[in-house]
Amino acid sequence: MLLQTQNLSKNFGTVKALDQVSFQLETGKTYSIVGESGSGKTTLARLITGLERPDFGSIHLNGKLIASGSFHLSAEKRAVGLVFQDYALFPHLTVEKNIEYGIAKTKDKKRIVESLLTLVNLEGYGSRYPHELSGGQQQRVALARALAPEPQLLILDEPFSNLDTSLRNYLRTELFNILQQTGVSSIFVTHDTKDALAVSDEILILRNGQLLQQATPEKLYQQPATPYIAQLFDFLVALSPQLVQKFGYSCQPNRKYYLRSRDFKINQDTDYQIATQVKRSVFMGTYYTTYLQIEEEEIMIEHQEELKQTTMNLGWQEADLLIFD
Amino acid sequence: MALPTLVIFVKLFAGAGETWGHIVEYLLLRYLSNSFYLAIACSLLTILLGVSTAWWSTRYEFPLRKPLEWLLILPLAIPSYTTAYAYAGIFDYGGSLELLLRPLSWGIPKVDVMNIHGLVLVLSISLYPYVYVACRAFFLHQSQNLIEAAQLLGGNSIRNFFKLILPIARPAIVGGVILVLMEVLNDYGAAKYYGVNTFTTGIFKAWFGYEEIETAVYLAALLLAMIFSLIFLEQWQRRRKKFTSQDKSRKPLKRILLSKPKQYLLLGMIALPAIFGFLIPVAQLLYWAFLTYESVLKASFFSIALQSLLIATLAAVACVLFAVLLLYTSHWNYLKSIKSLSKFGVLGYAIPGAVIAVGIYIPSLYVDRWLMKMLGAKVGLILTGTIIALIYAYVVRFLAVAYNPIASGREKIQNTLVEASYSLGKGTLFTFFKIEFPLLQTAIFSAMILVFIDVMKELPLTLLLKPYEVQTLAVKAYEYASDELVMEAALPSLLIILTGVLPVIILNKLIRRD
Repeated sequence: MLLQTQNLSKNFGTVKALDQVSFQLETGKTYSIVGESGSGKTTLARLITGLERPDFGSIHLNGKLIASGSFHLSAEKRAVGLVFQDYALFPHLTVEKNIEYGIAKTKDKKRIVESLLTLVNLEGYGSRYPHELSGGQQQRVALARALAPEPQLLILDEPFSNLDTSLRNYLRTELFNILQQTGVSSIFVTHDTKDALAVSDEILILRNGQLLQQATPEKLYQQPATPYIAQLFDFLVALSPQLVQKFGYSCQPNRKYYLRSRDFKINQDTDYQIATQVKRSVFMGTYYTTYLQIEEEEIMIEHQEELKQTTMNLGWQEADLLIFD
Repeated sequence: MALPTLVIFVKLFAGAGETWGHIVEYLLLRYLSNSFYLAIACSLLTILLGVSTAWWSTRYEFPLRKPLEWLLILPLAIPSYTTAYAYAGIFDYGGSLELLLRPLSWGIPKVDVMNIHGLVLVLSISLYPYVYVACRAFFLHQSQNLIEAAQLLGGNSIRNFFKLILPIARPAIVGGVILVLMEVLNDYGAAKYYGVNTFTTGIFKAWFGYEEIETAVYLAALLLAMIFSLIFLEQWQRRRKKFTSQDKSRKPLKRILLSKPKQYLLLGMIALPAIFGFLIPVAQLLYWAFLTYESVLKASFFSIALQSLLIATLAAVACVLFAVLLLYTSHWNYLKSIKSLSKFGVLGYAIPGAVIAVGIYIPSLYVDRWLMKMLGAKVGLILTGTIIALIYAYVVRFLAVAYNPIASGREKIQNTLVEASYSLGKGTLFTFFKIEFPLLQTAIFSAMILVFIDVMKELPLTLLLKPYEVQTLAVKAYEYASDELVMEAALPSLLIILTGVLPVIILNKLIRRD
């Protein structure tokens, strides 16, 4: 077990930034912590690195207690690396000096810096200053610097948010490959589900300071614990119990029903279906947004094909229905 | 740092000196009314000069704008008592004005500046840059959008200035005026020379004239009460409203290009304060220095200059050291109480030098008596009237001067840099010396220069606390002037101005380079 947290909690004034969060991470895997701003993901990362103290709860790294309500192992003694969102490269030091900053005196600094520069594809950039590099290059220096002391765990805080969307896919793969080569255990902190899906073995979803679910990307998609998690991946349509019954499905009380928009089938033979009236259909570029009238209820769906007629059969398969307590 | 204030507060209960009754009866009302009049008149005049020059120089384009922007700050390099000497000399019988006007065989205007009204003019002309600098920085950061919005709403430029610009610039104006007021209440040299009785001259009179430190304590306490109510007022007015715009996409102010004649008119108006505040006094001093350099320029003069430089350098280093210490004890501590302590530590700048001197003289005497008792009489006075007490007093008075640039320099260092260092396994001290200190170098150097300049000019505190055998340029100039040798005061004064102007130019270069 690499990292274990128990009931980890942190308040800022009256705001519960983190509320009794417990989870376990294994060595050698890549994790993502996903949440919108204010979800507590940054606080969680700062608690693990030791830049923030928990109010209560505990963190164990490799079985050793590193933080609790009454104990705090300071950041410099934790061997947890952090790649900052703004990279935080020391502006007065060269790339080389930045990278060797955290390497122990007894080690062969020059050789380690060389190999790290090769790893991040920045050979020959050692004598440059951070401001002479592009954003992507700065990020790779920050990564090399964080890897230099050989941390037991590496945390990357919003690593893609400062980069152009056009570069994003490419850099995501590159970053992932570098981490794979080093075999370091890592946590990506991000607000973007797509980024998380692309890089992680497991994803932790945070919302309002609480951990909603920890699962592999596949499981997270197939068995989301809450509607919130499901809508992170797809456009989700909420179906009221009355509406579900109109399709011919027998409802259980006190449950909530959802369907992913693209699981609706139009004029196809499905488990449940109903005739609907097309009220309005808007072309959105790669898809259509259509408002449908089902008796006195109205729903909105997204679909690919253009609708020619004003009435149609809307249906879905039982396996696609998402049911939450 | 709170020691002088505490001492004065405690000493209040020890009873007043014998002359206190006499002062209350005959002088106190005079001190009060004079100090109040000076405060109010100087505030109004410095606002008029400072705000107008700041607004015009940031809003309009005219010839010689860049050098003028500079020249407008330079009166700060001249100690106000020196400006006072210069103007006294200009308007004196047989003074420079008379010499200049005589060949024209015009009627010679008899202007008596050696009174409280003259003092107001002299202090205002030498202190308005505090308001100018504060407002200029504020106007430069104003958004073009704001003014364009006002124009679209149909206000003309004069109406916009009074209805919009002046109200939102209020924090900057008040900030500048507070500094002016502190300098006015701190002033000793100019008031003494012009024969105006203020609290500060009263403290001197009680201490040296009546030799009653108890009475000086009472006057100091009253002055302190005035200062603290000023600080309170400023804090209160600042808390009420938030004026800074959060607009990030603001456009910088565009300068307005006037017609040629109007440009020269503006140039003339803006140049006036700089001419009266800097060029004329300096010209007068140069003229005097030319007349007297043979008698003044002796070996002792160089020794005094050297002592001055040495003391100012020592004080600058000490202030910076304490400022860094103060900043980092609050940075490295989780306790809230220590954070508020740092605010208290920098209050010294508000306390007039004479008050600090009183507050340090008394305890240092106690400590020395105690030390002598413990170690025997042969150790002599270790603190009282020694360089240690003097440097300590400078630290109390000028800590804020060093603290503010270093603190704002520290704020510019992103916290993530420090956190990155921690996460790379380095402790707080290592991080300070490897990351923060290198990045703070310019700020620390600016802080040292600013303290250095202030100490070079400082008069009341130095006069009261300096060791007998030590001389500074400021003290020497003061002594010449009090001995009716005001012409001889020109050379030391000029040297002070030079040591004030040169570092500022270097500093500006440094900051530009960053």
